[in-house]
Amino acid sequence: MKRVQLEIVLGTVFALMSVGILTVMAFDEKNRLAEFEQSQRAELIEFGAAVYEINCTSCHGSHAQGVDFVAPCLRCEELFTTRLEDIGWDGGLEDYIISVVTTGRQISTRPAEFVGGGSPAMPTWSEKLGGPLRDDQINAVAAFIMNFEEWALNPDAIPTPIEEVAAVDDPVARGFTLYNQFGCGACHTISRLSAGIVGPALNGIATRAATRVDGLSAEDYLYESIVLPSEYVVEDFLDNLMPPNFVDLLSEDQLQDLIAFLMTFEEE
Amino acid sequence: MISTLRERFNIPPRGEMRRWFFAMIDNRVRIITAGLSIKELRAIMRGDPPTEKPNPRYKVITTSFIMHLRPRYYQAASTRFTHTFRLGWFTMFFFIVETITGVILMAYYIPFPDNAYESILIIESNVFFGELMRDLHRLGAEAMVIFSWLHMFRTYFTGSYKGQRTFTWLTGVILLAFTAWLSFTGYLLTWDQLGYWAITVGTSITESGPVFGPGLNIIMRGAPDIGAGGLLRFYLQHVILFPLLAILLISVHYYKVAREHSISLPAPVEEGDMEKDEKKKHTRRIDLIPDLLTHELFLTALGILALLAILYFGWFDSPLETHANPQKTPLDTKAPWYFWWLQGMLKIDPAQIIETIMGTIGIQVELSQLLNSKFIMGLIVPPTLVFILLAIPYIDRNPSRLAKNRPFAIAWGIAWIFIMLALSYMGLPQYGIETPAATRIIQDLAPEEGLGPLREIPHEELVPGIYLLADYVAGEDLCPDLAYQPRASEGDDYTVYGCPHLSEVFAEFAERLLLAEESGELPFLHAYFLIEDFQPNVKRVVPTVNWTDPDTGQEQTYDVDFFLHEDGRREE
Ligand code: HEC
Ligand code: HEC
Ligand code: HEM
Repeated sequence: MKRVQLEIVLGTVFALMSVGILTVMAFDEKNRLAEFEQSQRAELIEFGAAVYEINCTSCHGSHAQGVDFVAPCLRCEELFTTRLEDIGWDGGLEDYIISVVTTGRQISTRPAEFVGGGSPAMPTWSEKLGGPLRDDQINAVAAFIMNFEEWALNPDAIPTPIEEVAAVDDPVARGFTLYNQFGCGACHTISRLSAGIVGPALNGIATRAATRVDGLSAEDYLYESIVLPSEYVVEDFLDNLMPPNFVDLLSEDQLQDLIAFLMTFEEE
Repeated sequence: MISTLRERFNIPPRGEMRRWFFAMIDNRVRIITAGLSIKELRAIMRGDPPTEKPNPRYKVITTSFIMHLRPRYYQAASTRFTHTFRLGWFTMFFFIVETITGVILMAYYIPFPDNAYESILIIESNVFFGELMRDLHRLGAEAMVIFSWLHMFRTYFTGSYKGQRTFTWLTGVILLAFTAWLSFTGYLLTWDQLGYWAITVGTSITESGPVFGPGLNIIMRGAPDIGAGGLLRFYLQHVILFPLLAILLISVHYYKVAREHSISLPAPVEEGDMEKDEKKKHTRRIDLIPDLLTHELFLTALGILALLAILYFGWFDSPLETHANPQKTPLDTKAPWYFWWLQGMLKIDPAQIIETIMGTIGIQVELSQLLNSKFIMGLIVPPTLVFILLAIPYIDRNPSRLAKNRPFAIAWGIAWIFIMLALSYMGLPQYGIETPAATRIIQDLAPEEGLGPLREIPHEELVPGIYLLADYVAGEDLCPDLAYQPRASEGDDYTVYGCPHLSEVFAEFAERLLLAEESGELPFLHAYFLIEDFQPNVKRVVPTVNWTDPDTGQEQTYDVDFFLHEDGRREE
């Protein structure tokens, strides 16, 4: 065989092999597209979880369980069943979430239950309106919240959270985690840590606590402020805003950890 | 009636129908092939000589526009595979692959920060063969870069830049720069962390320039930071400006080869003393049609098959990291690998080197104020290198192309290859950059981008709990009570007992931490894995490391939250 002929034969064989590969790929392509879409949705949810973790836990709780008096539960039945009707929203839930998160909430629709950060109750999140999040991040966090549906409709399936904080052997570090987990920062300001304005700032609280109530040590006063907030109401602030149920939510050890954390903030 | 039709359409009488019919077909074939008859095509296939005179195979070259770009013949020795390795040809092949796949991708791509990344996802998840097009485009780009470099080295080592070919070499060097720039501009378009930061770091080099540096930076980026303006500029350069410039320059480059000086003969044939007959054999003509053209069709089939096979067997996968985030600098920014040499060069500080050299001979100098290393290594050295490349035909006045007559040129070429390799090695993201132990260990476990060992743990094995370093026993399974059936992937159902993958990953984590504790990097170490159910099908995994900073005595924590969905990507 001459070289030209050999090349024609081989070239034809190669071309046929290419067509073969393309055919095999084409048969699998529908499958691949579906799989890709599924894993893409999964990754969107993972990404949304990370966005939630960074931006939303301070008000809505570490596991979206909500914080009493601050912000609603985002993994509970109400949001997935009656909420849209109550608020008069015609579209779907995912769109509702995207819309609320994009614009935030100037005034809470349930001021008695959830004050959030005061005014606005929830800040604007969209970059386009001056917030910190891009559209794709908002879409992701909405996909993440939607993924709670199964638990929302069947709350028994929700596992009790793992005592993450117990593993840390430093009470102050544990206290800081609790401070975030229970949404204290939504109402209280501590420089560089949180910026809530509903309650008094806690900078220098260790020093102040010692002088608040005669006969109570700083630790005892802090204990009382958290467990029985109405016993002593700080001047210029309203009674009954600080949730009275921390005593039920926090174990004795956790209370001690929180106090250890707050005791690190002395007046300069 | 029939006879009027016959007349009207020039159809011959019955007896001559057959002949007339073949003549008509033959005529059509001649029109399509720009001059080859059916008989001629048959002769080509059988390797027979031309059937008519003058040679109709040459006629094609004058009548067809595309073919007129080609030479009629090359001399036999120039077409030796081991002379050109078809490197220039393959560079062109990949350029065409890029053009075709690029036009298809363009149909779906939106050059705007809000949509760019999503449009890539849509190409991969909703466009039939979309992933294939993207992979071909990306693979073709890398191949084109590689082949143009190799092609340059080939022409350098065969001394084909001399004499008449000087101008061809000059256009070649510029084409090399165009090729690099085309791939660089394409890098940004996916608008993921990888591209965004590679381009941010890349363009920031211009900023260090004096006077017009900051201005240049703004022209390139469209704003102080890359945003909508920058993306649009890069897009337009990538899809219009540089493809057109490249086509223009390739035409000039190839015109020289096809019309002026042809492909060089191997130096021994051109300069070596050879018998007349022998020389004749090497310089006899090889016609474009049919020999070279069939060879090129063969190479085309080979090239396409190679590309498809690489993709089919999964040896190449286009990278796509998370959405670009200007607020979050990744731990390591990676330039594309063919720019690692540049990245490596940027890690060299000339001021320091001069200071040390002067120091050893006893002169103390303070240069770091005077010499800005980014400016020198980023803005002075690379253009100088390009300039030297351009000047090679003028620097090297040695008329001979024989390797044995140009030992210096050959030695330089080899040294040059090694320098590029060494610089590229220095350009590796890890080289010369220190990351704190805890960060490095956790990042190796679960990198910011891509998969990493943590992601490869099957979802079932992520049993909620806290796994303390203090409880770590080498070789022990972390969840002895677990038994699960892996998700129906392939093969029969079988049961896995315990959590071998999780235990292995945790062991790796523990062993590395304990080593770092021993070496004093992480004193008072306390570490754990937290795993919990975060959502019905999402686990939250938090590797945490606590230690006391040896210098400040401060307690430090490094932890990262990872969220793993059961349907998330587990393997490439
Ligand atoms: C400053 C506290 C605060 C932060 C931070 C916050 N929210 Fe809210 N959010 C609220 C309050 C308060 C409401 C309830 C307003 C109301 O009832 O009208 C709310 C309501 C919502 C709702 C609507 C729930 C419903 O039942 O109508 C969604 C969804 C939501 N937030 C999502 C988020 C996401 C996602 C983030 C993080 C990006 C976030 N929130 C961060 C305070 C906050
Ligand atoms: C819904 C808003 C809200 C939340 C959530 C909240 N607080 Fe308060 N907190 C207040 C208000 C309002 C006051 C002032 C009125 C009072 O003393 O009861 C206050 C007072 C306090 C005080 C007394 C401050 C002083 O200057 O004497 C302490 C201490 C305190 N809170 C700690 C906490 C801790 C710890 C948490 C989290 C576990 C928390 N708070 C959560 C609203 C809140
Ligand atoms: C887009 C990039 C390029 C394309 C498409 C291209 C294409 C070609 C082709 C098809 C040839 C014919 C010979 C062969 O196949 O080897 C050729 C020859 C040549 N090219 Fe390139 N080239 C490119 C880049 C370069 C570069 C970067 C250089 C060097 C700096 C270069 C220098 C030369 C020289 C000197 C010749 C003549 C070789 C000889 O006569 O043996 N080219 N080019």
